[in-house]
Amino acid sequence: MNSLVLLVVLPLFAAFIIPVVAKFSPKLSLFTGPVVLCINLLLIMSAWIKVGSGSEAIFLGGFLPPVGIVFYIDHFSLLFSGLIAGMVLIVWPWDAKESRLYSLYMLLSAASFGLVLSADLFNLYVFYELLAVATYGIIAASPISKVPNSSATAASLRYLFISSAGSVMLLLGIAIIYTLTGTLNIAHLATMTTSLDGFAGLSAFALIAIGAGVKAEMFPVNSWVAEVYGTIPRQLSALLAGLVSKLAVILIIRMLLMVFQQQAAFDLLLVVGMLGVISGEMVAWRAKDMIRMLSFSSIAQLGLIFIAFSIAGSKGLWIGMALMLHHLLVKGGLFLMADRFAGHMGKLKGLAKHSPMAAAVFLVFVLSLLGVPPFPGFWIKLLLILNLAEQGGGLYHVAIATILLATVIETAYIFKFVRILYQKADADSTPINKNYSSSYTFAKLFALILLVSMLFVSPISNHLKDIANHSASPHIYINKILPTKQLGDRS
Amino acid sequence: MNSFFTIEGILYFGAISLSIIGLFGLLVSKNLFRMLLSLVLFEAGANLVLVLSGFIRNGIAPIFLDGNSGAVMNDPVPQALVLTAIVIGVGVQALALSLIFRVKKHYGSMDMRTIRSKLEREIATQAGVTPPGSNEAPAPVKLVKGEAHE
Repeated sequence: MNSLVLLVVLPLFAAFIIPVVAKFSPKLSLFTGPVVLCINLLLIMSAWIKVGSGSEAIFLGGFLPPVGIVFYIDHFSLLFSGLIAGMVLIVWPWDAKESRLYSLYMLLSAASFGLVLSADLFNLYVFYELLAVATYGIIAASPISKVPNSSATAASLRYLFISSAGSVMLLLGIAIIYTLTGTLNIAHLATMTTSLDGFAGLSAFALIAIGAGVKAEMFPVNSWVAEVYGTIPRQLSALLAGLVSKLAVILIIRMLLMVFQQQAAFDLLLVVGMLGVISGEMVAWRAKDMIRMLSFSSIAQLGLIFIAFSIAGSKGLWIGMALMLHHLLVKGGLFLMADRFAGHMGKLKGLAKHSPMAAAVFLVFVLSLLGVPPFPGFWIKLLLILNLAEQGGGLYHVAIATILLATVIETAYIFKFVRILYQKADADSTPINKNYSSSYTFAKLFALILLVSMLFVSPISNHLKDIANHSASPHIYINKILPTKQLGDRS
Repeated sequence: MNSFFTIEGILYFGAISLSIIGLFGLLVSKNLFRMLLSLVLFEAGANLVLVLSGFIRNGIAPIFLDGNSGAVMNDPVPQALVLTAIVIGVGVQALALSLIFRVKKHYGSMDMRTIRSKLEREIATQAGVTPPGSNEAPAPVKLVKGEAHE
């Protein structure tokens, strides 16, 4: 089991060895990253089988918690580790000119693995910051061909200001928690939730949620989204919108599920979620080009995920996890295939005739995004609304109304877009981007996965429910990380 | 901390005020360099709060403790954490400075509003869309040669 530490160590090591290797053999440095990620995938799969339906804690260096640092492993964290490895492999920059970019991608994956596995709050902060720095570098270093280099730099700089302010808020929240409890081990914190009940504890949660919310495209702190996604390659947008945003969400819900099971925290998430859904859909409705539309629709979807997590206990995690996976598949796929489309809506007329396949794949994605019955998106939205209705309190019912209203707006702009695709081509329509990259193939693969999962909705949902039940339980978490004899020793 | 006017209360007040000043500066100022300085202040405030969490009045560093003197010690964990946080902060600030340098070189301006509007225009042109809000925007003013640039 201890070999899972390699998930973080290997990419980190590779990140620093790649520039050296590139001096001798550029070819070798290109393949180092994918090889490391494949090894990681194998490690994750073997751990998935070994863990079974249980969970494991790895005590790094043999130091026992709460002093030592712990990695916590269950199917939830392994699932997202696998997604990280797969997603980075898919968007790997094969045609990059500099080996430094490979290093940054390796740094990003190391930080992501750490963020998913770690069970220590300060460790999470360090990995979050590492992830942020790697992202700034990647954004600044990989502009798309049509915009000048410097606009990616400017977008990266604006992102840096917002995101660093977010990190400082996260740090402030951690400092408040340490002041109140004297520990940063999440399992240890879970045993003393009463000392975090008051106003100070809640403000700590708010600071953590908004701080990490910058990456998760949370409502008040998402002004970077359109600028960044507009200036970077589509594959990278797929990575940021599909995966990195989910990692920040995981940080927030770890804290929410284990430490802050209180109504005020849920209400906070519910309100920012609703605001995110409405504001995102409104701006997406006005968008004139595909990337802007996708960026803001992604903000709205993340809002939906926050609404899901405001349902207490394992049900929230279950629905939220399903939403996260669905969004990863759909938005990742849409960004990947955006390469094939020309961008401006008016130019896309007649696309369906040029390339019926692209139009069909696009349709599969958006229909599932909207929640049209046979697609997985429908079941998830239905589940979300049913469970929101079960919750008492007016705010939850407002959330249902918000979701339905947002769906109407979403339908309006998406079908406007679809109609353009199926219109007759006119003089200035240049729908297909001829020299698109291989990412379109992956988009088709994503659509296939979505279609296949349609047939297995109920087993998948049962499996997710099991994972959520296990991962949302603070008791199992505490028992694994702090076995009772240790608690006895301390008190 | 039963009374506000203890040394801890005053220190906490100072640290939190510092971070609020930093956050306010980040929101209000438009000059890139000032924004960076505000970020530095914000970070300093957060670091102070973190290091204060282990502070005890009259406490001494644990390394000077002989084990049975009964003296109170300052918690060493936040001090270690704050060192990490400071190092991370320095790295990010250096990166921000280098990005500011490149942005200034290209846009010829340190004003966030100018840069943002130019950036939006570039993105819109690349996507083949008219820049947002261009219908209502005043016509671009042409600089007459000889007029002051500022």
